[in-house]
Parts: sequence; C-alpha cells; structure tokens
Amino acid sequence: MSTSAIFEPLRLPNLTIKNRILRSSTGGRWDAYDGSGTQTRINWDLKTARGRVGAIISSHAPVHPRGRLLPGYALIDRDDRVPFWRELVRRVHEYDCKYIVQLAHAGRERIIGGFEYPTGVSSTDEPEPLNGFRCERLTTDGIAQVIAEFAAGARRAREAGADGVELAGANGVLFTQFLSSAINDRDDEYGGSLENRARFALEVVRAVRAEVGKDFFLGFKISIREHLDEILPWLDEGNSRDESLQVCKWLEEAGVDCIHVSTGGEFPHPRNPAGDFPTKEVVKTYDGLISNGMYTFRNYLVFRWWPLNAIWKWHWEKPSRKGVEGINLEDARAVKEAVRIPVICTGGFQTASVIAEAIETGACDGVTMARSLIANPDLVRWFERGHDRAPRPCTYCNKCLFNFVENPLGCYDDRRFDSRDEMIREILSVYEPVPEPVAA
Amino acid sequence: MSASVIFEPLQFRNLTVKNRVFRSSLAGRFNNYDGTGTRVHINWDLKFARGGVGAIISSNAPVHPRGLIVPNYAHIDRDETIPFWRELVQRVHEYDCRYIVQLAFSGRQRDLGGIQYEKGWSSTDKEEPVHGLACERMTIPQIKELVQRFADAARRAREAGADGIEIHGCNGYLITQFLSPAVNDRKDEYGGSLSNRARFPLEIVRAIRAEVGSDFHLQFKITGVDYGDDLFFWWSKGTKIDDSIQVCKWLEEAGVDGFHVSSGNSFPHPRNPAGDFPVHDVVRGYDTMISSGSHTFRNYLIFRYWPFNAIFRWLWRRPSRGGVEGINLQDARAIKEEVSVPVICTGGFQTASVVAGAIERGDCDGVTIGRPLIANNNLVELWRSGVDRPERPCTYSNKCLINQIENPLGCYEESRFDSHEAMVSEILSVFEPPQFASP
Repeated sequence: MSTSAIFEPLRLPNLTIKNRILRSSTGGRWDAYDGSGTQTRINWDLKTARGRVGAIISSHAPVHPRGRLLPGYALIDRDDRVPFWRELVRRVHEYDCKYIVQLAHAGRERIIGGFEYPTGVSSTDEPEPLNGFRCERLTTDGIAQVIAEFAAGARRAREAGADGVELAGANGVLFTQFLSSAINDRDDEYGGSLENRARFALEVVRAVRAEVGKDFFLGFKISIREHLDEILPWLDEGNSRDESLQVCKWLEEAGVDCIHVSTGGEFPHPRNPAGDFPTKEVVKTYDGLISNGMYTFRNYLVFRWWPLNAIWKWHWEKPSRKGVEGINLEDARAVKEAVRIPVICTGGFQTASVIAEAIETGACDGVTMARSLIANPDLVRWFERGHDRAPRPCTYCNKCLFNFVENPLGCYDDRRFDSRDEMIREILSVYEPVPEPVAA
Repeated sequence: MSASVIFEPLQFRNLTVKNRVFRSSLAGRFNNYDGTGTRVHINWDLKFARGGVGAIISSNAPVHPRGLIVPNYAHIDRDETIPFWRELVQRVHEYDCRYIVQLAFSGRQRDLGGIQYEKGWSSTDKEEPVHGLACERMTIPQIKELVQRFADAARRAREAGADGIEIHGCNGYLITQFLSPAVNDRKDEYGGSLSNRARFPLEIVRAIRAEVGSDFHLQFKITGVDYGDDLFFWWSKGTKIDDSIQVCKWLEEAGVDGFHVSSGNSFPHPRNPAGDFPVHDVVRGYDTMISSGSHTFRNYLIFRYWPFNAIFRWLWRRPSRGGVEGINLQDARAIKEEVSVPVICTGGFQTASVVAGAIERGDCDGVTIGRPLIANNNLVELWRSGVDRPERPCTYSNKCLINQIENPLGCYEESRFDSHEAMVSEILSVFEPPQFASP
C-alpha cells in the first residue's frame, strides 16, 4: 500500500501543516516549579521538530497555576511568560514545523497539586475517584474567571507567534469534568442536560474567538468515550458516543477548526495511553503521589503487593488487549461523519500503512503521536525512507509515562537499546545544549 | 554586648572574607536533572549575597553524578559545567561576597539516587542504616579515581573564578563513611586504624593541592562528633572528638586552610539541622523516598501513624532540647584549640550577641548559617542595623528541609508570615527573574 497520503499537506482552517503527523501533547517536568519555561523544554520539542513532524502540540500549558496537572510545566498564565513561548515557537519554526499551544486546566485531575493550592477546582466537589484528589466546586463567578483565563492564554499564544491553540478537553481534565454525565453533578445552568454540561466548553470557545479573532487556528481535544467503568467497575461509564458527537457539532458551530479525538475520562486510562501497566516502574514513582490523594496510599499498596498488583495489571490491560495502534479510529470515523471540520486522532500510531489507510478510508485527516515519538523522534524520517515502522518501535510498555513523575521523560524500555547506558545517554540528551547562563 | 566583631574581616591564608558570616551549603532542587545549572540557582544564591553575608558556600556540588544526594543540584563533574559556575561566581562577586564551591560526594547516602546509577559507592557494602540505601564497596582503583575527580573539580572551581573550595567531609556522606569507625569496615589501607580511615580525605587534599597549587583557599567541613547513638542507644557512637582533632591536625599538615565544624554521621541528624521533626510535612515529603531504600516503607509507616510518629519525634528532638543555637560550639572550640588555621562553625545561629560571644570567647572565628538565612535572607543587614535577633526568627521547625524534596526550597513555617499567600509568594520569588524574560 502506498503511504503517500501521510506526506500530503494537511489543510486545516487557518493552518496548513506540511504532512499528516502531529506530535501530541507530551512533555516532561522540564520547567521551573513556578511555571517559567526553560531551555530544556525547547530542546525537548526540537527533537521532534527535527524529526520532521508537521506540527507540535505543546505540553499542557495551564492557564492558571491551580490548573496544572503537576509542577514543572511551562505555564501561560501571565504576560511575562510570552518571551519563553516566543523563543520556543521561533526555534520550532526553523524546522518548517508548526506550533500549537495546548491550553489546559486540570480541574481536580492534579497528579501533584503542589504547595500553593491545597485543592483543585471542578464542576463538582466530589474527589477524583481513583486517587481521591480533592476539589472545590466552581461557582458561576469562578467559571467566568476560568473562561477569561483561557481567552487570555489564547491571546498570549498568538502574541508569542504560535500557529494556533488547542483546548485540552479530553482525558479527565476540567473540560471533561463539565462534559461528563458521570462527573458533573451540578444543578445550575452548567450541569444536568448535555446542553448545560457543554456550556462551559462552548463559552470558552466563544471567549477565545472573541479574544483572538476568527483567523487563528483553534482545535479541541475531546474524549469521545470516557469508559470510566474500565478504571473502576462501579463507576458510570460517562458520556455516550452520540452525546460526544453532539458536543462536537456544537463546538464546530461555535468556531472550532478541528477535533482531536482521544479517549478516557481520566488520565491515565487503560485506553490512553493504551498498553502495559508497568508495575515495577509504578511502584518506584507512584510513592511520591501518596500524599496527594485520599486513595493514593491504598493504591500504592495494591500496586506494591502481589497478587493485588497482578490482578490490577490484568484488569488495566484488558481494554487494549485487542490492539493499541488505532484504538480510537472507530470514534474518529464517527466524528468525521458528524462534522465538516477536519479530525485528527491519537492512539499508538507508528505504522505508516496503518496511518495511510486511516486517512484514505476517511477515519481521520491526520494522526497525533506521543509515545511513538518518544521512542523514535525521527519516525517521520523512517516513513519518508520507505519504512513501514521504525526498526525499534515503541513497545507500549508505558514506562515513559510512569517515570516522568520523578525522572526525565524519555524511553525507559531498555530492550529497545543496546545497553542500559545507551538508554540513559539518550534520555539525558534532552539537556543538550546546556542553557546559556543569562546575565541580568 | 557589642556585635562589632561580627563585622571584622576574617583572614584565611588565601582568602579574606569581609565579615564573620558565611552562608552554609544549602539549596533546593533548582537545577536540571543532569546537573547542569540554571538561572534559578543563581537567583537563589544572590538572595544571600544581597543580604550581606561575607561568603557563600555553594550547595553540594557532586564531583561525579554517582555522588549526588538528590537530583537537580548543580554538578561540577565536567568541564562543560564551568560556564555556569563562572556566571554564578561573577554575579555573587557584584555584592562583594566571596564564593566557595563545596565539592561533594554522597557515597551511600543518596536520598533519591536517580536513574543513572542504581547503587552508590561507599567504604563498605553495608546498607545505610536509616533508609536502607544500598551501596557497593569501593575498590582501590575506584578510590584513586575518585580522589582525582575531587582534584579535577577543584581545578574547575578555580577556573570558574571561585574564591575557594570546601570539601564536604561530614554529615554521613562519603568522607564520613571512611572516617567513621561506625561505618568503615574495610580491612585494607583505607580502613581499621584512624590513620587508615583518614587516608582517603588526606589523599583528596593532597591531590587538590597538586592540581590547584597552595594559593587557593581550601577548607574542610568535618563532623566533630558522630553522635551515632543519638537516636537509638544501641547504635554505635562513631567518631569522638579526640579522633576528629587528630584528623584535623593531619588535614592541616596536608594543606587545609580552615575547618568548618558540623556534627552527626547522617543527614539529617537530630543535631543537624537541630530542632523539630515536623511530622505532618515529613509524611507529605518522605513518600517520594519510599522507593529509595529497604527501610523507607517501614519509616513511612512510622512517620504516618500515631503513636509511632510521636515517639520518633520525641527521640529526634531530645538531643537539641538543651538549645539549638550554637549546638556545635563546644566541638568547634575543641578543634580550634588544637589547630592553627581558622575554624568556622554551623548550628542554628541567628542572634548577633550569641555569634559575637562565640567569636570573642574563641570558640570559633566565624559562623555559617543555613536555616536562619532561609527565614531571613537579610539577617546580616539586620544585625548591622543593631537588631540582635530578627523579629520573625527561624523557628527550627525544619519544614524547609523536608519540603525541598518535592517543593522549592524556602521557609514553609506559615506562622512566620501574615498569610499562606505571603509565604507562597516569598517562596516563589526565587524564580524571578526567569531565564526567558523580555529584553
């Protein structure tokens, strides 16, 4: 099968990308605790820009410190953050690669909340169910404030020269917490009916449009299915596909340029990133989360002790046992049939023929990748040279995911390297070049 | 009592410091994981330079990544690190403040060992007893290699324009692991008798002198007394003061220009930093260390659950119940009486009259300060303006210490601030200015 479809430009409203491969939002804890950006994040993003992806979606960029998933990520919450983002975008552009800033608010999904704000905010005041992260219910005024923060974040991204923004609406963060029938328990105009639950997202979209105009790319990432019952069987599964399709239609009407299809009403989720539950790595890094939630100590004991950890691993890996690559394509195809705007899709992509087929059969217009590019930052180059897959593909072992809490993000599957030393060298290469000492 | 003695210059053989106050080695995890330095680290040190201390002793600067204590400290393990140190030293010098780089190697005492090396190096292959941190016994070629790494790091410090170096020879890190009879169980020429146990630090001093010459300031931080049985009476006492005095004499002969007296053969230790065991903060911060050692999970349970945590806290606080400020002065005096180079001393100093008294009595020639400077960056300026003790002194709550594992180093004693927000904003001020700022 010809894979030429991958190399055709992706024409999105307000943004044309040189090929069909985008780096999905991925980033380690490279930045300062307060959210000021560093040279290391620039180095990290340049790895994939150099590898010839068409566009990079930034790591989640919180629009307020209370909305970060964990410290060590560059924020876009103040105007004095703009110089960092401008430098990052400028450097990525040198590789003919587009840069999209992902505007985010974690809500209650704060893996490490940090010392500044003891609790997160959410649509509800119920704690997050797996780890027990506590939160406060947003008031109507609080909602209006968060909406304004998103609009200001979008303006800053545009001022920094970015090619667009994506709203992080998937994977259990604040947008999901409003959209989800399983989470949102409000009885005001932001809860109850689907229309009410979608109000927050739609108001953010309209506020962003009012702030940056119509001619700036605006994407929305959404979990079409939440599958919350796959994490804990006693939870409601969350929104149905039809409900999410309706939300996508409303988003399109409100001015969204592209839907980015993901899955799962929590992060991580058995379907995202789909694959292994690497028990040994989890025990090593989840310990640092024990103080963050009401159920984290219980979870730690489950992950630590056999046979509890073996049962959990079996349970976690069940949804992805049929295959990881393209796990969301069915949902993407349904979205594509429901809306006129382009659709991009994430989920373990790393095989050229699989991607080309997805595009040619109309399941999506492009794909986004995270782990596959951590394993092979130059994956697109392999595709260009006619390889269907990189010689050492991502194994979906998810060790990257669980290491990044404590250690530098990178591929920790030592089977993919000639030696452990080589793996460590590759992981630490993100610190080259050394940041220039900056004189005042 | 007049505090004027504090503001008299202190002369070492190769270095003059404008007053008697040094910032002791301390820093948070402000740098990159691989040990490359950042703007934030510079911001941190400038807080104290601006506050009027005479000299700053850097955060522990590992001479090799295997010798880190926790990741994200600035290393001095390769020549590429020199530009960072040069920039840092130059900025500190703008405040007429001297800069001393602390050359360090953790040995087996690696609180978070990181991804590069699974085990630390030590004189022994026995686990570190508190957390159960694993280690390998160093071979003689490894010892020789590490001696040279200290010398190379000293050369880098000099090339960076630093005013001197301090060898981190105390608090349970590698050099203590050689010096202490409670740890060192070697049968070769690096273990057994005191002269054998002292061989490793003496070789480091001689190698550094061979590398940087005799005209570069070299001070040695030493644990006067191990107090190994402070927490549990059945643990070995370790090094006593007479042995430390002998080691100091040998070190002086080998070319050391000054001694910095601390205590304890572990870090932390009930006497260093002496004070409270902040259970609530410990439970929040220690969880990250559970994967580090074989006793950490047990410890976590002790810290988490009453009455175990109450008993532990009581044991921890016992040695400092007689007072925190000047807790090491007796040991410093004992060493000062036997050596001819200046002696500086650490241990909770924050009262001008106490410091001046110690210097005038001849207990020590100067003091080094950690926590009280975190609480009051401008402590020296306050003293200069006639204040004996800051209005909001350090409470020795040790919340700074335990928070630095997960959070930016700073004062976490909320009772010292008008509000939580005021505390947060003071802690986060270290990030100003950011690396990427408007031109």
